[in-house]
Amino acid sequence: MKARGKTEGKDLLWFGLLGVLAVMPLIPGPLQGSFTQHVMIQILLYACMAQAWNILGGYCGQVSFGHSVFFGIGAYGAGMAVVKYGMIPWPGAIAGALIAAAVAVAISYPCFKLKGHYFAIATFAIVEICNRLFMVWYWVGGALGLDYSFSEPGWTHFVWYESKRGYFYGALLLFILVFGVVRWIEKNRLGFYLRAVREGQETAESLGVNSTKVKLMAMAVSAFMAALCGAFFAQYNYRVDPPMVMSLDMSMKFVLITILGGLGTFYGPLLGAALLIPLQEYSRALLGGMGGGVDLIIFGLLIIVVVVYQPKGIMGIIDGIASKMKRSEEGGK
Amino acid sequence: MALLEVRNVTMKFGSLVANDDVSFDVEKGSVVGLIGPNGAGKTTLFNCISGFYKPTSGKLFFRGQDVTDMPAYAVARLGAVRTFQVVHPLKEMTVLDNVLVGAFLRGASAEKAHEVARECLSLCQLEEISDRMAGGLPIGYKKRLEMARALATGPELLMLDEGMAGLTSTEIKAAVEIIKGLQKRGITLLVVEHIMEAIMSVADKIVVLDGGVKIAEGAPQEVVNDERVITAYLGAKFSQRLQASRGGANNG
Repeated sequence: MKARGKTEGKDLLWFGLLGVLAVMPLIPGPLQGSFTQHVMIQILLYACMAQAWNILGGYCGQVSFGHSVFFGIGAYGAGMAVVKYGMIPWPGAIAGALIAAAVAVAISYPCFKLKGHYFAIATFAIVEICNRLFMVWYWVGGALGLDYSFSEPGWTHFVWYESKRGYFYGALLLFILVFGVVRWIEKNRLGFYLRAVREGQETAESLGVNSTKVKLMAMAVSAFMAALCGAFFAQYNYRVDPPMVMSLDMSMKFVLITILGGLGTFYGPLLGAALLIPLQEYSRALLGGMGGGVDLIIFGLLIIVVVVYQPKGIMGIIDGIASKMKRSEEGGK
Repeated sequence: MALLEVRNVTMKFGSLVANDDVSFDVEKGSVVGLIGPNGAGKTTLFNCISGFYKPTSGKLFFRGQDVTDMPAYAVARLGAVRTFQVVHPLKEMTVLDNVLVGAFLRGASAEKAHEVARECLSLCQLEEISDRMAGGLPIGYKKRLEMARALATGPELLMLDEGMAGLTSTEIKAAVEIIKGLQKRGITLLVVEHIMEAIMSVADKIVVLDGGVKIAEGAPQEVVNDERVITAYLGAKFSQRLQASRGGANNG
């Protein structure tokens, strides 16, 4: 009974959240501003990116700094379909996601033989390699990247010019997909196996878990989702070039947002994005004149504070408060 | 055909021979004790059987299949599941979640897995603490969690590596009862144990290792009276004295 009550509470929170997000752009007032809508879209997008990373880095405990590569492949998938082939972006996005998953499995298979930090270091190198590769790869536009020309606004071409509302609902769909998949994983066998591999690979193996296969699956799902986020990013910016998508900066955002929000937690990536993205966007808008990178300085400081104070991130702080309240409630009885 | 057949297993680490030509059988439905002084090679043999080490030479058969070269997870899937001497709780997961990991081996249905996990928790008397994080439990609970988790995989052969070391005498009695209960359910057990009185009361057969070599095998009472076993455990001097006193008793 108790367990059921808990699941119902979780369902309520999830569907309630989706409801609120769905009506948000319709509320008249300050939420209608173009910049506010831009910030909301960015929050949803980065929450999805962090959640995609969380599957591998949080739940499965394999820290990857290579996710901007998969993000980039997704962005190029959509970009190539639109710019090179004059198609709608959807098949490009799917193809990009599939290629990203395949590439992820191909490069992580040898990397997973490396233990602990060495896996993380190897993924660093992959970002640099892919960045250089795309810079000189003429077929995908090289350093100049791919620029979108005008196409009919709407869902078919997934571009809007006048209002950002379309993008908001697009981001919300992405959010439902990515978070929905993670919600499903959490409750099912894969979720338990991911965490078992994180907590002790030997133990997991002793219980019949093929840890290599589990890690590769986590990698594939994670990269697929990251690539879809990348496709959205390209559509949103009407262009894609290597430094925009395949950079260590971008990779770090996947990692830091999740750490800030809470590794291996369902709402952590959303909370991390909801705190960091407004800070990033507003500081960029206000302090942009001081030169680039101010947002990254704030980013870094915040991470240091949170990690020192509560390594489990914002979710850790919330859990701490919740258990304190519960204890004082029980004490009151 | 025995459920588990160990055939001439030798395991070397460099020049150190941890297991030297060890052979024995574990019959289906029996409880077999694996004993020996510290450093006798019991855990190494366990690691070979469960697929964590690949023996230098020799063969292992489980249910008639050659499992010598199988990875650990494949051996577990076949139905030979082990626990660890040094407990390996999945720390940041609750007790229930730990057992669920095991329970998912026999099917992807979350509902069925919960059912199996609940049953194993109650069998190992852990229901009360099922919501607690496994990392923070006292050792007695952790030992039982090891067992519950392995049990949840629905094993045919359960291999317990010193499941009772470090427990109080009451806890040991409880553990012995659990083992007897498992045997009734048709689970075959291979138990590494230091605590002699615990193993004597449950085992059908005992295999004794010393310095990596099998020095005795047989029913518990035979084995404790074996001269080599007494020598291995208590030293040659004590063994001689014991023999002498026995001889004296017989003469008198």
